[in-house]
Amino acid sequence: MKLKTRRTYIAWIFLAPSLILYIYLFVFPTIEAFRISFYKWSGFSANIEFVGFNNFLRLIRDSSFLAALNNTMLLLVIGGIGSFLLAFIFSYLLNSGIKGKKLYRTIIFFPFIVAPVVLSIYWGLLVYNPRVGILPQLLNIFNIEALSNIVFTDASNIFWSVLFIVVWSRVGFYLILLMAGIERIPPFLYEAARLEGANELQMFFKITLPLIKEVLVIAMIFWGIQAIKMFELFYAFGGILPPRALWTNAIYLYIMGFGKRDPIFQLGYASAIGVVTLLLVIIVSIIIRKLVKREVYEY
Amino acid sequence: MNINKYVFGKFLSHTVLIIWSISIGMLVYFIIISAMKTNRTVFRQLWSLPEKLNMSNFINAWSNLDFGRYTLNSVIVVLAAVALIIIISAPASYALTRMKIRFAQPITFFYIAGIGVPFQLLLIPIFKILAPLNLIDTLPGLILVYTVLSMPFTVFLLTGFFLSIPSELEDSAYVDGCNEFQTFFKIMVPMATPGIVTAGIFNFIALWNEYLLALVFTSSSQNRTLSLGLYSLYSSLQYTSDWVTIFAASVLSIIPTMILFIFLSEKLIAGITLGSLK
Repeated sequence: MKLKTRRTYIAWIFLAPSLILYIYLFVFPTIEAFRISFYKWSGFSANIEFVGFNNFLRLIRDSSFLAALNNTMLLLVIGGIGSFLLAFIFSYLLNSGIKGKKLYRTIIFFPFIVAPVVLSIYWGLLVYNPRVGILPQLLNIFNIEALSNIVFTDASNIFWSVLFIVVWSRVGFYLILLMAGIERIPPFLYEAARLEGANELQMFFKITLPLIKEVLVIAMIFWGIQAIKMFELFYAFGGILPPRALWTNAIYLYIMGFGKRDPIFQLGYASAIGVVTLLLVIIVSIIIRKLVKREVYEY
Repeated sequence: MNINKYVFGKFLSHTVLIIWSISIGMLVYFIIISAMKTNRTVFRQLWSLPEKLNMSNFINAWSNLDFGRYTLNSVIVVLAAVALIIIISAPASYALTRMKIRFAQPITFFYIAGIGVPFQLLLIPIFKILAPLNLIDTLPGLILVYTVLSMPFTVFLLTGFFLSIPSELEDSAYVDGCNEFQTFFKIMVPMATPGIVTAGIFNFIALWNEYLLALVFTSSSQNRTLSLGLYSLYSSLQYTSDWVTIFAASVLSIIPTMILFIFLSEKLIAGITLGSLK
């Protein structure tokens, strides 16, 4: 009994530094942000006025916010479908007994470690740029009429162009997760299915997908959180002040709270955007968990 | 017929993978060659090799534009933050998973829930806490912010690893007369090394490339990190048109993560793999 109390006591010593710091500089600020979202406040003055739910009511009517929210949702859904589809295709190709599997996997993962600013420079200048970019030139060479007039960085396309960069640079991470799940599936299941005359698609839906559910849930929630909070690449790609077409929730929050060239300092309103974003993260995590029911298959 | 189909499938797979890989290889190739050109020639021969090995852009960025200092700042801030994150998160994760502490599960959940909080929401409140402590626009302040905001993900990763270590090891350590600290440092830390390495690399990469927090919590140019310096250079481009310096600075920013990647990518991949299968 004495030993047990001693162990609990020491356990709290192990936990304390981390927990104190976390509560002081993470949990408190989160609560504080919720509180600020009910105020009108420009920051460094004492002028702070309680406005109830007004900030949230204003959000619903703010077309800039709705545009940002729309972008965030598109990123979440379309970007998610793109990332996972590609990750599945790559994992299928790499698991087909191809040579250089590890090398390909490492290369595909590489952009994950490159700074968003460097990604912006490379894609913005080298790939998409209408004058010197390689993509417009390629489209010209192959004489694809319908596509060669596309300007990848104009207002109507820029969001999709950046979305592709996100998928391109993140897919390697999800590929690793999915491959880890797939490699644990015993091969005899596929052999048996093949003997029964199942085709590749049937095997994918009946064997692969159900057996990697756990990894898939983690990967999807991870994507959801990353997508909803996405800031740096979209912000960097926009240069000095990102155009509205690139605003996500996080960027709009930042612009309303801190501005850029002319600070706006609507801290209460900015906090309200953050609160809505956090609620979105929670809802999406719950939906993904419900969508992919957590039945664990024993094998 | 079947063999033809097989060979064709292989060919197609390689084609797809090689095209994708080329788009990635081009990034490295382009940034490096452009860093050695001049603003006059860089757009004329965008893809060709530079005429000679020209290091003047690096020298210019390093000394005239203060990137030497930014690099040093980044090294200090990121290494200190990563060390601090591990030093406080590893014992905490161990206590939460192996020491049969009360409320272990709710506390763990309490940490992990932090992953979902958009950190832009916390900028204003954290600023308010740090300002009276004189920690704004200082490197220790930035280290503290980095440490705290990285904790939820690190605890998530490390609790997974500690859970996977068989408890027989711990029991026999106690039987052999180790106390809790000896058990932790001599038995558990070595066992959890793959997890700790993964958490370390992950945080290093994320913090090394981070510029928003640095932008908010530092203001003077002497406290800039490399990534923030690069961002500032990039966003002032329309006034300076100094492309080649940006390429040189990009190379500087990519070198550490690339070295880490070359030597540790297998460890990192193995770590992600293990951590995700808990």
